This record gives sequence, C-alpha cells and structure tokens, in this order.
Amino acid sequence: MKTMARLQLPKLNTLSMVTLGFLMAVQLILGRFTVGNQFIRFGFAFLVMALVAKWFGPLWGIMTAAMIDLVGTLLSGGPFFIGFTLSAILSSFIYAALLYQRPVTWRRVIIAQVLIMLVVDLVLNTLWIAIMYHTAIWALLPIRILKQLIVTPIQILLLYPLLKSQVIQGIQGRLS
Amino acid sequence: MSKFIFGRYLPLNSVVHRLDPRNKLLLSFCYIILVFLANSWVSYLILIILTLGAIAASKIKLGFLMRGIRPLIWLIVFTVLLQILFSPVGGQVYWHWAFINITQSGLINAGFIFIRFLLIIMMSTLLTLSTQPLDIATGLASLMRPLRWLHVPVDTLAMMLSIALRFVPTLMDEAQKIMNAQRARGVDFGEGGLIKQAKSLIPLMVPLFMSAFNRAEDLSTAMEARGYQDSEHRSQYRILTWQRRDTVTWIIFGVGLVLILISRRW
Repeated sequence: MKTMARLQLPKLNTLSMVTLGFLMAVQLILGRFTVGNQFIRFGFAFLVMALVAKWFGPLWGIMTAAMIDLVGTLLSGGPFFIGFTLSAILSSFIYAALLYQRPVTWRRVIIAQVLIMLVVDLVLNTLWIAIMYHTAIWALLPIRILKQLIVTPIQILLLYPLLKSQVIQGIQGRLS
Repeated sequence: MSKFIFGRYLPLNSVVHRLDPRNKLLLSFCYIILVFLANSWVSYLILIILTLGAIAASKIKLGFLMRGIRPLIWLIVFTVLLQILFSPVGGQVYWHWAFINITQSGLINAGFIFIRFLLIIMMSTLLTLSTQPLDIATGLASLMRPLRWLHVPVDTLAMMLSIALRFVPTLMDEAQKIMNAQRARGVDFGEGGLIKQAKSLIPLMVPLFMSAFNRAEDLSTAMEARGYQDSEHRSQYRILTWQRRDTVTWIIFGVGLVLILISRRW
C-alpha cells in the first residue's frame, strides 16, 4: 500500500506546475553545457533530473524526462531514437525510487548514480548505439566503461552537495 | 554556447515552412523508419532524392544545413572507423592484423552507415530550421492528445512545455549575466582539470536555480491573478489546421516508401 501511494500522481498547484516548467527550461539549457577536455565531456542535465525526481516523484519525473529528451533532440536537430527516451525515463525513475520523500544521504546518492551508470549508461545506451549505427558492442564498451568510471564519481560529488545545499532546501520548503 | 539551439530557426517563406508542424513531426519520425528500411544502393538513391527534394522545397541553402552537422562529425567519423576496422569477416579481406579486419563488406557497410547518418541528421536539422520552437511544442501537445486515455495529464505537460520553451532564452541570458558577474569576481570557467571545472559551475548553478524559482513564483502568482485554475478546462488560441499540402507530402512519402520496399532486393 505504501508503494502504491508513492506511485500516485501528486496533484500540482500552479506554483509546482510553473516550477516544473522552469526546471525543464534549466534542464534544456544545462543539457547544452558541457565541461571537460577533448577526451571526456559531460553535461549537467542529470542534476535537474535528480531534483525533479526528488521533489515531484517518479511519475512527474518520468513524464518530464521523456518530454525533455524528445524536445531536446528535436530542437538540437540531432537524430531521434526512442531508446534514449527510455534511458532518460529509467534514470529519472531510479532517482525517484531512491530520493523521493526520503532523506538525502551519501549512500542513496551513490547507489542511484552507480545504478544509472551500470544499467543506463553501460548496458542500455551502448545497446542503443549498437542498434542505431550497427557498431560492434564490444568495440564500444571499453571506451564507455573508462569514461563512466571517471564521470560517475564527479557526478556523485556534484549531486550530493547540490541536494544538500541551503538554496535547494530553501526552495523545497517554499514549494510545499 | 553562442550557437545555441533556439537561435537556429531560419525564417523563410517556403512550402516546408508553412506545413502543419504536427505533419512535419510525424513525417520526420516516419522518415527515420524509412531510412532503416533502406538496404541497397538503389533504395539509398531514392532516399537521397527525397531528402534533397525536401531541402530544395524549403529554400534553405545546403551549406547552411551542413553547418548544423559539424558538431556531430566526430561521432560519424568514429562510428564509420569502428565499422571499417571491426567488421565481421565477410567478402574479400584486404588487410588483417590481430582482431582488426578490413573487408569488402565492412567498407560497404561503413558507406551505408555514413549515408544513413547524414540523411537522418539532415532531415532532423531541416525540421528544426523550418519550424519555430513554439510550433513544435503545439504540434507535440496535439499529437500526445490520445495519451489522455491512459490518464496522462497531457494539457498540464503541454503548459509546462510552453513555459519551458518561453523561458529558455530568458534563463540563457540570465546564465550568461551570472557567468560574467562571477568572472568579474575572479571565477575561471572552463579552466583547470575536470573536477575544478565542474566545481567552478557551482557559483553559476545555485544563483540560476534561485532566479528560476523566483521567476516561477512571480509567474504563477500572475497566472492565478489572470484566472488560471487548471490546465484541462480551457480553450485554445493557437489552432493548427491540416491543409492540402500536408496531404500531398504524405502521398510523396507513400510513393517513396513503396519504391524503397520494391528496391530492397537490388
């Protein structure tokens, strides 16, 4: 029963709805922002995705993640592939399952990020690239594993302080 | 940053620009399926003719379109190289070393993948260049309407999406201003190692979130003051109409589909 209640669509008031809209805008912007050198680049859209999942739960998280993926690829002129939308949905669900209505701890953040690395980045996304461009999976995998081993710790180090920051906690207080 | 997506719309007055956005979205989805169906030289030729025809009809210069492809060039080169180097044995083998085979079938496949990549990217760039973001949002919202039967809050999502698209440029300017302000105080963006680079974004991120939330509060108050209660019980100002030229595009698409299905064997 408890899990059922957690999966229900929380009714949004106008403020929550508008905030979700703004978070989508921030996610679209941060999706274009990358740091790194010529070998490894990574973006920051995952921070907003985690935030949406933490504040609004799995269902709103899933729906906005799908929309962002759809609109983001359409507007950037990249090739659209439904598999990456599924990946976005799954990542958002993992964040929500671990962070929604629960206290933020190092353990939860690490588990979420490592799960996403293993399931979404290494298995699913590699599979999608292989399907889309007919590349051999085992030729892609070593490079992708290496990249994720560097990126995931940095993601954890960014996500935890963000979720714990005074500003974010303050906004959360004003939302509810 | 400067070549950001939303500046990419090219206002021209062509047939493609005047097509119904819903139609263009559906066509580009189905086009990808068409590309995956093609498997022979003749079928790729038909695809190339269709694509160039669409570009010509949009009056967008080919060179301008190619500029949109430049950021993806590395991905294309990398994939084509992987395909050439690691193809399974088949056809004539030109060069062999350890697990690296360069074969005839590998080279042919690499050629197909290159064309496939280029075509998909060209068509999706064409969609972006010929359709305003707000039209894409309206089109998507109307295409998602059937999901109501699955209790998806389509209208609320459409409202959120139009808020998001409206405020991307505003928040983008804001981000630029915050960055400049922090630079003036001595923050170096994009310098040093990975972790240092990532950390330098915190003085950007936190004010950006705060400013976004403040704007959200103001906007929601203003919306309520104007009589907004929920997303469902409202009428629409932006109305899309399906015209004869939209039907014509599907006839052309259908002909292309039939030709490709026939030519798959050659």
